[in-house]
This record gives sequence, C-alpha cells and structure tokens, in this order.
Amino acid sequence: MTPERFSAVVSGVLIVGVVTSAVLMTIAVFGSLVVGWGGSLVGAPASALSATDYSAIVPGLLALRPIAIAQAGLIVLVATPVVRVIASVIGFALERDRLYSAITLGVLTILLISLIGLR
Amino acid sequence: MTASADLEIFLISIGAGLIGSLAGVGGGIIVVPALTIIFGIDIRLAIGASIVSVIATSSGAAAAYVRDRMTDMRVGMFLELATTSGAIAGALLAAIVAPSVLLVLLGVVLLGSAAQQALRLGEELPPDAEPTGAALRLRLFGSYPDARLGREVTYAARRVPLGFALMGLAGVVSGLLGIGSGALKVLAMDAAMRLPMKVSSATSNFMIGVTAAASAGIYLGRGDVDPTIAVPVALGVLAGATIGARLLPRLSNRRVRLIFLPVLVVIGLETLARGLGIRP
Repeated sequence: MTPERFSAVVSGVLIVGVVTSAVLMTIAVFGSLVVGWGGSLVGAPASALSATDYSAIVPGLLALRPIAIAQAGLIVLVATPVVRVIASVIGFALERDRLYSAITLGVLTILLISLIGLR
Repeated sequence: MTASADLEIFLISIGAGLIGSLAGVGGGIIVVPALTIIFGIDIRLAIGASIVSVIATSSGAAAAYVRDRMTDMRVGMFLELATTSGAIAGALLAAIVAPSVLLVLLGVVLLGSAAQQALRLGEELPPDAEPTGAALRLRLFGSYPDARLGREVTYAARRVPLGFALMGLAGVVSGLLGIGSGALKVLAMDAAMRLPMKVSSATSNFMIGVTAAASAGIYLGRGDVDPTIAVPVALGVLAGATIGARLLPRLSNRRVRLIFLPVLVVIGLETLARGLGIRP
C-alpha cells in the first residue's frame, strides 16, 4: 500500500464514521421536534426511560425513538477513533512496516485495556 | 432544553469546533463554561458533552487533515503510545493524588509556555534540521504541502525523548484532570520537537480523539453523556471543525500560533483558578 492510499483509507474511515454519526444525530434532532425525545417515529407508546441510560438502546432503535437514534449516533462518534486505530494497524501491516505495525498495535492494546479494564 | 436553547448550544459549538480544529485542542474550554454558565447545565453532564466534543473536533478535522497531508501519522501514532499509557496512569493516580497541587503546577507550566509562545510569534517555520538519533530510527520526519507558502515544506522532529515524555504527561493530565491535554500535545510537538505549527496542530487534532475515546466509554457507562445536550454540541462542533479544517492549510503558521496563544492563556488561567479553588 502506498502512503497516499494509506492516508486515503484512514481519512475514509474518519469520514464514514463522522457522516454516519452526523446523519443519525440529525434524524434524532428532527424526530425529537416531531414526537419528543422519548416518543416513537412508528407510533409506539412513549417511553419514560432516562436519556443517559444506554442499556435500552436496542428496543429504542426498533421503536425508532429519537433518544435511541441519538445514542446510536454518539456511540458511532466515540467508536470512530478506535476504528481509525484498527485501520492504521492494518495499513502499517500492509505496508510491511514492522516497527509501526508494532507501535500501532501497542496503542490499540492500551486503548482496549482502558475501554474494558477501567470501569 | 427548549428548541431555541438547543439552537444556541449548536451555534456556540460551531465556534468551539472552529477554534479547536485550528488550535489543535478539543474545544472543551468553550463548551464546558458555555453549558454550565449560560445554560445552567450540571458540570457532570457538561464534561460528558465536552468529551464528545473533543472526539467530534478530532475526527471531523482529522478526516481532512490526513487527506491533505497536514497530519504526520507516524509522529501521531508513536506519541499516542505515550498519551494512552499516560491516560491510564492518570486515571489510576486520580485515586491517590490531590488534584489541586497538580492543577496549580499545570497552570503555571501552561502560562510559562504561553510566554515562550509569545516570543515565537514572528517565526513562520522552525529552523531546518536533519533527522538524527531517535527521529532517524523512528522516521519522525517528512514534509507537508503548504498552500500559503506555495511549496512543500520539509521538517524533522528534534528532542524526541523530551516530546515523548511531555506526551506521557499530557496523557496523565487528561486521565487525572480531564483537561488541557490538547494544549500540552501541541506544545510537545511545537516547542519540544520543533515541528511546524500547522503540523503540530493537525497532528494534535488527530491524536486527541484517541485519548478522549479511551475515557469516553467510562463517561457513557456512568450516565454522564446526555444525548439531549451532547447531540447539539456534537453536531455544532462537527460543522465548525469541518470549516476549520478547510481554513488551516491556507493560513500561515504565524496565524495558527496567534490563534493558539490566547487559547493557551485561557486554559492556563482556568487551570490555575481551579487549582487555587477560585473556580470549581
């Protein structure tokens, strides 16, 4: 993989993450103006769930609740840098750059430890 | 939140994303005071929204910076080793160290660096340097296309161990205090490693998303990220960062430093005020 192509892949991952998240969040905002944050775009009964509770996201998404769509958008946004690091590991490996494959893998490992271990 | 308050938060966040993307910082210095002081939002939820804003600034701007070759990905990935491990150390230290002493120290360091930045305001590019030692072995050198100067500018990192140590400190600070890490990252690359200012800012932007993502999971799980606040912030910041990322390649390095300096002074004063107990 050429450096130009590598940059294009990393940049592409960031663009896909940012655009997906922005689209979800925009739908959620306009949805909330119509049915309210806890309402449902398919007419399910309103939910009294707390906005900061991310555990009910799947049933919320199935009922097309703006609050759940917003939560999904935020999760995609937060996951984007992590996916970018994974893409960099693959990119450096395809470049056969052993030093930077190892460095990036180290970053990914530490990142996963902090995501999983520190709660 | 009413719809008009949401709109105001969105508009303020555009400014935060714009300044953050140009200065290489997360925009938390704008988002947190705006949410708490203007809108009376709980500090816990304001910090949750600010973590999201850091990631939005980073990913929104870095998409363009990486494509335009403003970001040095090797420098970024190498230094992320230091920031991510520092962030874990900071989160562990938070249980045993009194933050007030550290806040005062950090405030003094940031204000001292601001004085040094002021002395360097006239400098467009750091003096030419051949890569030696660690910079050579780690290939921490390269070039970027400068649309302002109309040529390709080459650079090589200097004082790599010092830069790496400062980045570790930036990680500790962000894990421990949750602030100021973007400013320290820019300083590590600009003042210690002597990379061009635009490369320092763009590479810092590239890195802050990863540092923030490492702690964002904790904030999400703890219920500190309220979508009704974080979503207008994130959308505004994304818009601002997209505009900033289009501007940066065309600005001179001098101008970028001129934007970074007041941001640095404000972060330094805020940190000092928090450390001395003047502000929560």
